[in-house]
Amino acid sequence: MQMIQQLMLNGIIAGIIYGLVALGFTIIYRTAKFFHFAHGVVYAAGAYLTYTLFIFLELNPLISFFLSIVFAALLGVAIDRFVYFPLRKRKTSNLVFLLASFGVFIFLQNLLQLIFGAQIMTLRTGSVKEGHHFLGAVITDTQILIIISSLVLFFLCWLFIQKTKFGKAIRAVSDDPIGARVVGINSEKVIMIAFAIGSALAGAAGILISLETNIEPTMGMNAILKGIIASIIGGIGSIPGALFGGLFIGLAENLGIWKIQAGWKDAIAFVILILFLLLRPSGIMGVKTEKEKI
Amino acid sequence: MEYLIHILIISGIYIILTLSLNLIVGYTGLAALGHIAFACVGAYTSSLLALNFGISPWIGLISGAILASILGAVVAYPSLRLRGDYLALATFGLGVIVYSIAKNWVGLTRGPMGLPGIPSFSIFGYQISNVWSYLILVLVFVVITFIAIRNITSSPFGRILKGIREDEIASQAMGKNVNHHKIIVFVVGAFFAGIAGSLYAHYISFIDPSSFTIMESITVLLMVVFGGMGSLKGSFVGASALIILPELLRFLGMPNSVAAPLRQIIYGLLLVILMIWRPQGLMGKYKFK
Repeated sequence: MQMIQQLMLNGIIAGIIYGLVALGFTIIYRTAKFFHFAHGVVYAAGAYLTYTLFIFLELNPLISFFLSIVFAALLGVAIDRFVYFPLRKRKTSNLVFLLASFGVFIFLQNLLQLIFGAQIMTLRTGSVKEGHHFLGAVITDTQILIIISSLVLFFLCWLFIQKTKFGKAIRAVSDDPIGARVVGINSEKVIMIAFAIGSALAGAAGILISLETNIEPTMGMNAILKGIIASIIGGIGSIPGALFGGLFIGLAENLGIWKIQAGWKDAIAFVILILFLLLRPSGIMGVKTEKEKI
Repeated sequence: MEYLIHILIISGIYIILTLSLNLIVGYTGLAALGHIAFACVGAYTSSLLALNFGISPWIGLISGAILASILGAVVAYPSLRLRGDYLALATFGLGVIVYSIAKNWVGLTRGPMGLPGIPSFSIFGYQISNVWSYLILVLVFVVITFIAIRNITSSPFGRILKGIREDEIASQAMGKNVNHHKIIVFVVGAFFAGIAGSLYAHYISFIDPSSFTIMESITVLLMVVFGGMGSLKGSFVGASALIILPELLRFLGMPNSVAAPLRQIIYGLLLVILMIWRPQGLMGKYKFK
């Protein structure tokens, strides 16, 4: 019986990270209205910058985490400025954005590989400590840290979007871009803030996962795919939906390998996605109006 | 010299892939991202038939292409319901699922170990084993694909496809059966991609799942976009340019650990530049709106 509890715990850890990626993705999607695929490489860049600062330059861990998150936010804003902004000015279709985003993803991922090499690296410095026993599963200090800090980030984002003036502007632009402009909201500025926050979240997710597992240049691909799937399942644009979708995918993958081999994880996730796209495109917590666009 | 012929053969195989994807993406405007999955089905079908049952590669090639087009019909189904980037995501997912099957169904495909020793084609007892004769074989298929796709796109049927691309609702209003056309386009595109996969398998004589990753699908899509959406000449230029140019990196004497990511970096950069400055590609008439 212990097996299932451990798998559930693994599923929750994976799911909460997917949820964090989905959260950043969904905040960007709400304002900019396209699939920012390069979000995944921002996640990987966050992990690699932490590696450089913490292991290579031997900075204090908290300072390196902070700098990496700031860097991830800047990277996201830079991608928006230099790639998406010209496309937005030309009012092109979502598909052009998606392809450009693939281009950015491929470019940056291979840049990481060129700089750091294709081999896996680890942030772990000390010896592995034995975890705590909790409801029949073993949970380590790092995993507790991941769960708590992710939940705090989710809560802060929710507060930011629901309670602050900037959050209100983001919601306004996502509901009605033209109406928002009429009442004097600078939509470009709002999109920039959305990219900064979303990319900071991706960077944070990259750092958190690198505390738990190894890092490699291709780590962004899995993260963004699961992040997109999570946000669609949860209902694209919804913050609780991102968390819920992430946990759903994380648990489905990890409980799935109880009966099926681990190699099928990705296939399970995509089968779930395609079923959702065909049967319930608005997701579990999504707004119904999204359905018309699909 | 053999190396040069090898590059030409690979270019020819990619031209078939690019032409068939151009029919789906360029002419009909459907965002399909899993094209290499069809090649994967073609390659594995004809290799497994040849290795396990000793069936002639010719029959294998046809069966592979037919199986690929059945998969094409399955992929077409979501395209009837989804638009734009959601369709892109769904086809991307089907690409991942097919790759997963090739990698994880070890009992059938030997998984990551791959299938070695795939026999080559033979004609009237003459084994097509040297690169020259294989080049001729590939060129024959390139010509067949070109003629087939040109005939489709320049026929009244092709006009309806362009109609779907420009304005789906208007085409429907004109009484055209849009769903029917979309399915046929996927079936035909998948058929030729299956042929390309089979040609690849019997040429290299070894296949493993790593030849059919989702990055490969994006590369083929880049070839379509680079050459030009809805331009058959463009597909020739796009595919051969993107195969030949990265090979030049080899002559600069770079180790593979640098050349491989550098090739991808060039692809990525090219995709971004095209999207920003020239979304219709080199010779395309049609721009993504």
